Amino acid sequence: MTTKRVLLAAAALAITGFATGAQAQAITEIKIGTEGAYPPYNNLNAKKELEGFEIDYMNDLCAKMKVKCTWVVQDWDGIIPALLSKKYDVIVAGMNATPERQKRVDFTDVYTSTPIAMVGAKSITSTDISPAALKGKAIGAQGSTIHMNFLEAYYKDSTIRPYPTQEEANLDLLNGRLDYIVADLEALESFLKDKGKDCCKIVAEVKRDAAIHGPGVGMAIRKEDAALKAMLNKAIAESKTDGTLDKHAMKWLGKKAIQ
Amino acid sequence: MEKYLSLLSFGDTGWGDELLQGALVTISIALATLPFGLALGLLVALASRSQSKIISGLATLYTTVFRGVPELLTLYIIYFGGQILLQRLWSGLGFSGSLSISPFLAGMMALGLVLAAFSSEVWVGALNSISKGQREGAAALGLTRGQAFRLVVLPQLFRVALPGLGNNWMVLLKETSLVSVITLQDVMFIATRANVATKEPFLFFSAALLIYLFFSILSAWGIGRMEMRANRGFAR
Repeated sequence: MTTKRVLLAAAALAITGFATGAQAQAITEIKIGTEGAYPPYNNLNAKKELEGFEIDYMNDLCAKMKVKCTWVVQDWDGIIPALLSKKYDVIVAGMNATPERQKRVDFTDVYTSTPIAMVGAKSITSTDISPAALKGKAIGAQGSTIHMNFLEAYYKDSTIRPYPTQEEANLDLLNGRLDYIVADLEALESFLKDKGKDCCKIVAEVKRDAAIHGPGVGMAIRKEDAALKAMLNKAIAESKTDGTLDKHAMKWLGKKAIQ
Repeated sequence: MEKYLSLLSFGDTGWGDELLQGALVTISIALATLPFGLALGLLVALASRSQSKIISGLATLYTTVFRGVPELLTLYIIYFGGQILLQRLWSGLGFSGSLSISPFLAGMMALGLVLAAFSSEVWVGALNSISKGQREGAAALGLTRGQAFRLVVLPQLFRVALPGLGNNWMVLLKETSLVSVITLQDVMFIATRANVATKEPFLFFSAALLIYLFFSILSAWGIGRMEMRANRGFAR
């Protein structure tokens, strides 16, 4: 009996999963993919709701574009495959528009650009973070990110460790398994205000390298969705001039979106 | 202490209700996978004992592939690859719009395919334990092969297979923790998100641990009861 009921429930779920959203001429509905694990940009709160800079900003854009937006929370690993297999139409997840990613997806104009930094133990006195200086050290970053690509490209003589989320890299720095972590400055600052207060500090900022880091954070879309790209770009441009973008940035990041 | 209790409380400020919802997702995907995986496993086991070299060869290929490939990869292949394939087929047939595999169905299929591969070995062992004489006896009584399987072999099969299948179930229960990569919000998903939001990894991973432990202790008890019942004719 129970088995039967569960099977029925499974079948019902499967059927409701068949969405037949015909791609009409005018876009009235957008599905947005995000990670929900990257405060203050996007994260889930205790009400199981998404919150953060990108959530507020994008919801505002949706209202201005007069489209219905629904959010999908997808783990970072698989966030691009899910876009390509049409699980959603756009990724808004602090994703830097890197040349590597541009081979597979298209990006809208940049709406924020995050400073990057390296964090290490308080006892470190040097601010030299060149590959030669960090030879033999263990450096961690979130996997499949610009930071990981950056480490892989330049820090060949260091031990590089990828993590599923930033949180785990932070933990391993606390545990002493890592000497340094590299990430977006905001993410590191929230760690340093909290758990990392006593152990760690910002050692130095990382200079952006266009070939690896790209121009900044944009929304990722499928290459064939030109109409959607134009619509989003228009909305982003308006938000830059009418102050909407900076309003949300001030609230969540404490500074202007683009420095 | 109070802080931890409030973090685990129900309502808008605590993660207790979210964790329970996650537990519900975990157990329902496991329960939905079980009948599908076990039935397919039995079919594969029967196929591997087939007289036809082709059919038994296919069964061997199946168990080799799905026991060998990591579950995570199987999940990705079904959820993303299956989606792209389905979309191509759908457009190829001349339909417009998009068709999608729900995460629940994809998770159930991927975990079920793997469960089938592992449980088929248990079924084969159980099938081998039933002596040939029983089938011959059934044939002598005029039962067809199908009837002999259904009425004579199957009831005995379960008793022998139960300990192995119980093992498969425990493994399945833990492997559901992979489904968050395809957007299902199970216990592990909630625990990692709660950790990110509150920076309390040990609290939430301990809570997840207790939830999994609760399910497995309950399962061990249930399987034990089933074994006792299945063995009642053999008790001394």
